[in-house]
Amino acid sequence: MVERRLAWLAGFVLIWGGLILTKLVALQIVHHQDYVRKARARQEQVVELPAQRGAILDRTGHPLAMSVPTASVFVDPLKVPELEVASDLLARELHLDRAELSQRMQAAHDNHRGFLWVKRGITPQEAEDIASLKLDWIHIDTGSERHYPNASLAAHVLGGVDFEENGNGGIEKALEAELHGASGEARILTDVKRRGIDELVSTEAHAGATITLSIDENLQFVAEREIAAAVKLHDAVSGSVVVMNPYDGQILALASYPPYDPNLPPENKKDAEARANHAVGVPFEPGSVFKVITLSAALETTKLRPDTPINCHGGVLTLFGRTIHDSHVGVFGFLPMSGVLAHSSNIGAIEIGLTVGKDAMYDYVKRFGFGQKTGIPLAGESKGTLRKLPKWGSTSLASIAMGQEVSVTTLQLARAGSVIANGGMLVKPRLVLKKGDQTSPIEPPVRVIRPETAITMRQMMEGVVLNGTGKEAKLKGYTSGGKTGSAQIFDYKTKHYTHTYNGSFMGMAPITNPAVVVVVTLNGTSGVGGFGGVVAAPVFRVVASEALRILDVPKDLPDDVPDTNTQIAKVQTMDDVADASLGDGEPNILEDRDEDDAAAVPVKPASTPVAGIVPNFKGMTLRAVLAAAKGLPVQPDGSGVARLQSPPPGSVLHQGERIRVQFAR
Amino acid sequence: MATQSTFFRTPETPAAEPFALRREAPRTERDRCKLRVFPHEDVVFYCKKIDNSRLVREADPRAGGACWTVIGAATLVLAFLTCILTPNVMNRVAGYKLESLRAEAQTLADERRTLELQEANRLSPERLDKLARRQNLVTPTANQVIHLENTGESKVAMVNK
Repeated sequence: MVERRLAWLAGFVLIWGGLILTKLVALQIVHHQDYVRKARARQEQVVELPAQRGAILDRTGHPLAMSVPTASVFVDPLKVPELEVASDLLARELHLDRAELSQRMQAAHDNHRGFLWVKRGITPQEAEDIASLKLDWIHIDTGSERHYPNASLAAHVLGGVDFEENGNGGIEKALEAELHGASGEARILTDVKRRGIDELVSTEAHAGATITLSIDENLQFVAEREIAAAVKLHDAVSGSVVVMNPYDGQILALASYPPYDPNLPPENKKDAEARANHAVGVPFEPGSVFKVITLSAALETTKLRPDTPINCHGGVLTLFGRTIHDSHVGVFGFLPMSGVLAHSSNIGAIEIGLTVGKDAMYDYVKRFGFGQKTGIPLAGESKGTLRKLPKWGSTSLASIAMGQEVSVTTLQLARAGSVIANGGMLVKPRLVLKKGDQTSPIEPPVRVIRPETAITMRQMMEGVVLNGTGKEAKLKGYTSGGKTGSAQIFDYKTKHYTHTYNGSFMGMAPITNPAVVVVVTLNGTSGVGGFGGVVAAPVFRVVASEALRILDVPKDLPDDVPDTNTQIAKVQTMDDVADASLGDGEPNILEDRDEDDAAAVPVKPASTPVAGIVPNFKGMTLRAVLAAAKGLPVQPDGSGVARLQSPPPGSVLHQGERIRVQFAR
Repeated sequence: MATQSTFFRTPETPAAEPFALRREAPRTERDRCKLRVFPHEDVVFYCKKIDNSRLVREADPRAGGACWTVIGAATLVLAFLTCILTPNVMNRVAGYKLESLRAEAQTLADERRTLELQEANRLSPERLDKLARRQNLVTPTANQVIHLENTGESKVAMVNK
């Protein structure tokens, strides 16, 4: 009897134990993951550790773009018990218009929409107030929002981001990988009240790197202000300015007009078009600015020198069955090569180009960086147009010599100007100074022309400002040099050049040791007042002056230099406008109406009487110079002893020409 | 000195009357409310004085040792448990504090970013330009701004300033 009872008991205990074991196996092994997941869902909270998008700073550390945390409120209208009460409550807490919110909520409810943004970008106080309501149909979405505190300033450089903070233009797009960072994930152990007890970071968040640009905020502002004013003043369509350090390629300012505010999404086609970066992405025919390249190639590859007389054929040249007109028909017979640049003679440039030859010309145009991207980290950069040598036509050499049949960007022109300014080296434009704490490496420059060629070109470009078409670019307290350009815009519909222009100016200052290169372009100007010397040179003057002030470059001229040529120039400018002729009135592909129509000092043809031979003034005082000049007209600049002179010693000085002498201590 | 009857106040049972002599009255004749007789009601207890002053507790060193062993073991267990649990408790408390501080740090960082944005807005060149124009201020010309250094004449100027 006892054994039977014990057997029953043992059996019962065994079954009981077996059941427990089975349940344990089910809990711990079979459904282990399920229960772990359920436990974690109750005890842990998985949160995403957002990676803050990197800020973009200017060269002085001022923020140009930065991300700030935001919170937005949305509701589920289908779960709202009383729409009127809800709209009243939300309108009061979020400072919204009650009637408008009620209407929106009603519409969403009627359309069976379960989601409605109530207000985006609420303040922390508003977020706290809303959260304290603890209503299940109100939700707060936290995130990050990109802000550009200076609105449209440097917008074309910065670009913008989409609603997910992914770059969609400019630096934001080009450096997306560095700026975006990588978000992380963490599991937070919480108590019953969902308060965090412990945090286990599964994946560390890596914030985006802070990008420091070479742009100077203040200079950028001045550049944008001036180009905007010039475009409006001259009824142009668009414009751009590039300010560049010629030695290391740092872009100090890069402005494009029309502007846009990257804080706001584009609403129409006009807004979208304003986002085009004209300095980098919109090439144009440069016109006479390109003569700098032609003359540089000539100095490098031929025996032509600044004082070499160039036959300008009286302003009319027939080439391969085409008649090419200079702006100053009947004015220029022979001009020294420096005069060709100063007065922007198209025929003279063509003559020089023909002397250089196709191969050398193509080679030097390539060497100066045209027809290829500069490598600046901006989305949408254009490489311009430079046809390969086999595709050149019979008149291509002549056209390219004076800046037609080739298209360039303002940035490419600035880069080419830097070659002249820094002594012959082609530098890569540098827009990013630092990525995080790491300084961006500087690519070694490539020699393009000899240093003496660069110096000679600088002297000739100074002549453009002093005596040529770029007088409006003369700076107060600094020497400057440059080249104007006014290229007719080609109409692809009529296949002819129009009477609208790309007015441009490529300049540098101070001329002896340039600290900045500034290129200004206005597209779509019209009439005589639309030439580069009129529209772009004044912008250069203001922007270059501001750049030199910001960079604290020592002055190399006294502030008030008497301009003896002003009156003569004004009178003769009018004469030039009167003399300006378009020849037979038919558009000509080689016709390059130039700014010298508006601002040139007429130079007598080489057949005019010789005034004398220019003496060597180097090291003399002003008194000694005037004595040595023996009646030849001298234009002194500065004080001290003579350091530079133009024309050089031994040159022939024609009637009406002056010897410019630069004095320094 | 008291018997149970005196204690429970049963007057019909005289304390002096012996149990054997007591006459049992028929139950029906008795008061209905009267308590029934307790067993051994007539037993009388007396206090007996006992003098234990001469008793001496026998020495038991093993019992004392065992007692101390138990106390020591309990203390050790308690200390052990304290050592085990204290870090956990401290960890939990620190966890609360850490999470709270972390949230506060995040809030402060967010506030800082917002303030930096406001500062950048305030210092934007366009706004400064407008303010400067309103007060008829002009941009200094080149070389008009002289950066004082702690050398030479600049040093004197800095001192005078």
